[in-house]
Amino acid sequence: MRKTFLLIVAALAVTAVVGATAGARPTATPGVTAKSILLEGTYPLSGPASGYAPIPVGMGAYFSYVNAQGGVNGRKINWHYEDDGYNPANTVQITHKFVEQDHAFALVGGLGTEPQLAVRQYLNDNKVPQLFVATGATTFDRDFAQYPWTIGWQPDYEAEGAIYGKYVAANMPNAKIGILYQNDSYGNDYLRGFKAGLRAHQSQIVTAQPYDLSATTPPAVQMVKIKASGADTLVLFATPTPTIQAYVIGTKIGYKPANVITNSVSATDAFLTIAEKSGSDIVEGSLSVEYTLDPANPIYNKQPGMKLYRQIMAKYAPKANVNDGLNLYGVAKAWNVVQLLKSLGKNPTRTGLMAAARKMTFTPGKKNANPFLLPGVSTYTRGNFQFPITQVKLVKYVNHVFQPQGKLFAGRGALR
Amino acid sequence: MRRLRNPVAFGVLVLAVVLAPFLFSNYRTYQLGFVGLYLVALLGLDILTGFTGQISLGHGAFMGIGAYTTTILVVDHGVRDLWTIPLGGVVAGVIGLAFGIPATRFAGPYLALATFAIPLAFIGILKRFPHFTGGTNGKNLPQLHPELGWHTNPSIWFYVVCWFVALVMLPLAFFIVRGRFGRALRSVRDSEIAATANGVSTAGVKTAAFGISAFYCGVAGSLYAIGTTYVNPDTFPIDLSILLLVGIVLGGAGSLYGMLFGALFVEFIRLTWGPALLNLFSKAHHIDTHAPGSGLVVYGVVLLLVLYLAPAGAAGLVRGLSGRPAFLRRKEDPSLSDPGLV
Repeated sequence: MRKTFLLIVAALAVTAVVGATAGARPTATPGVTAKSILLEGTYPLSGPASGYAPIPVGMGAYFSYVNAQGGVNGRKINWHYEDDGYNPANTVQITHKFVEQDHAFALVGGLGTEPQLAVRQYLNDNKVPQLFVATGATTFDRDFAQYPWTIGWQPDYEAEGAIYGKYVAANMPNAKIGILYQNDSYGNDYLRGFKAGLRAHQSQIVTAQPYDLSATTPPAVQMVKIKASGADTLVLFATPTPTIQAYVIGTKIGYKPANVITNSVSATDAFLTIAEKSGSDIVEGSLSVEYTLDPANPIYNKQPGMKLYRQIMAKYAPKANVNDGLNLYGVAKAWNVVQLLKSLGKNPTRTGLMAAARKMTFTPGKKNANPFLLPGVSTYTRGNFQFPITQVKLVKYVNHVFQPQGKLFAGRGALR
Repeated sequence: MRRLRNPVAFGVLVLAVVLAPFLFSNYRTYQLGFVGLYLVALLGLDILTGFTGQISLGHGAFMGIGAYTTTILVVDHGVRDLWTIPLGGVVAGVIGLAFGIPATRFAGPYLALATFAIPLAFIGILKRFPHFTGGTNGKNLPQLHPELGWHTNPSIWFYVVCWFVALVMLPLAFFIVRGRFGRALRSVRDSEIAATANGVSTAGVKTAAFGISAFYCGVAGSLYAIGTTYVNPDTFPIDLSILLLVGIVLGGAGSLYGMLFGALFVEFIRLTWGPALLNLFSKAHHIDTHAPGSGLVVYGVVLLLVLYLAPAGAAGLVRGLSGRPAFLRRKEDPSLSDPGLV
């Protein structure tokens, strides 16, 4: 009995000493020291969404490049990211760690609508920047008044939908439209934007078929209904796997729409190649949109941004697949982060960072546009307009590569 | 001496629980709060798996039912969060009983397969009724606020709530597995035929164990929702059910204190120990720690090592350290003769 008691006392004494020495004191501005700035983010490196894993690699490559040139105002960027497996419960715990234990200056580029929704209130309560989340859910940009510490980056789904609507209204006034959409905020954001873009042409929609992400079978019934409706223009507002399935099922049931429009999330070379290899013959000619340079298309190789991208990736992420556009997405986003940090001067604060993010003018006219975005695309926010990227270019899938079509479209602005 | 062991062990646990927030950072305390709620879930599952011998691959869904009960009551009906904790347990327990009545007619692996349907159906139902459950977008809960006039960090308050519940549920589990009912549970595990011959209603006992375990998991789920302040279908994946089962095995099925080790494992392996071990290896062997799925490798290796080196789990290991080495002892199942001990 006495021995046990002594053991317990000894164990408690040891833990007390360890605990007392382990707690690091937060500095005046969390995450900022004389020599470094700590930025952190959560990404799905495992699980169903692990296909997005190249994004933080691209971001890290760009930060390493900036650090090699002396960093930002004399401070090196310390980039740290962790795997949440696309489970919001994990995102919450890791985010608590970033804020309460690591004392990150800002959380940057966190990926996924639901994971980022899960931590939005917490980060706003703690006044920690939730900068440039990697999701196009409209709420992250639109609801800035309620969540002043949160901002998106890429074109929002609603705006992208509106661009397809406007394009159809202008160029295919006689098309009969059949829509397959995911029955959640993702698909509904797209659908709402699409209808807003069509305006008076909404009657061109002959059918809109929802499917459930949790459904265990491919959307075959929906595709049959779309074919039966006589639609000659197929619009897919679906995530990658159902998109591929829809392409394949379409061919199997003998459906030959004159045009196919596919939302940009699912419209990558990799996904469409899978659809073709699985036997779909309606992939060729698919329409979508792009806003960054596309490393898979050689026509961009002479762009200064593409040259710099390839240099950075070769030096700082040599193992990555440089032709995967997700790396470039990461590099492009990191460019904006670095510009914001530079503008904060010698004494960066979280408040200053958000103020700068709310008033961005990275536009081609000012000669400081993001070099990794398509020529002419700006990152611009001001006052009540908090949608950083809104311009996109229509692209057509020809011979395994997306070819740009015509001029830039602005998704926002015409909506209101 | 033996009679003293349980009260002493419980006293040490209470002391450690009281002291921990003073020793660790707010974030670690927050994580230890999750250990407390996983302990509750594992105790429940242990009553079903360790003591009654029925394997369930679906208890993550009962945590989900508790979590959604809390969320819907707090967000849509303005109920105080703390009051929803027992309600989450009751709702999950009733559903568990209702499921248990037909399902426990299955034996062994067939029951496991039937329970596998629970999380699958649960996720489908959540998405089917978005107006009620919030659908894939889920629902945000408000942060838990300290009460009783105590001003402290929300993370520490969360810890206090979780461990208060855990320290009530642990003795309760002891009472459940003791005495007549406890003997009935273990007789069903060891031989259903013998149990029936002795007048034990095996289906009744199994159904009761199913309901009790669902109640425990529902309580844990309520705490889980309060801790993460967010629920959606992705927060209760099928992996969670399997992880709970792994926690039982690693803690030592049929031991209640062993669940403490299981709970530590469930909370820390994926987000803390896995990445830390991986970092250690990567420095020595230049492994890409950010390669997709690399964290799972550590998880798998740890699992295999434990099953190989300590097949009776952490509880078995402790038992081995305190007595003669395992290979010198007679083969016996200590939980049978002495259910309440470590």
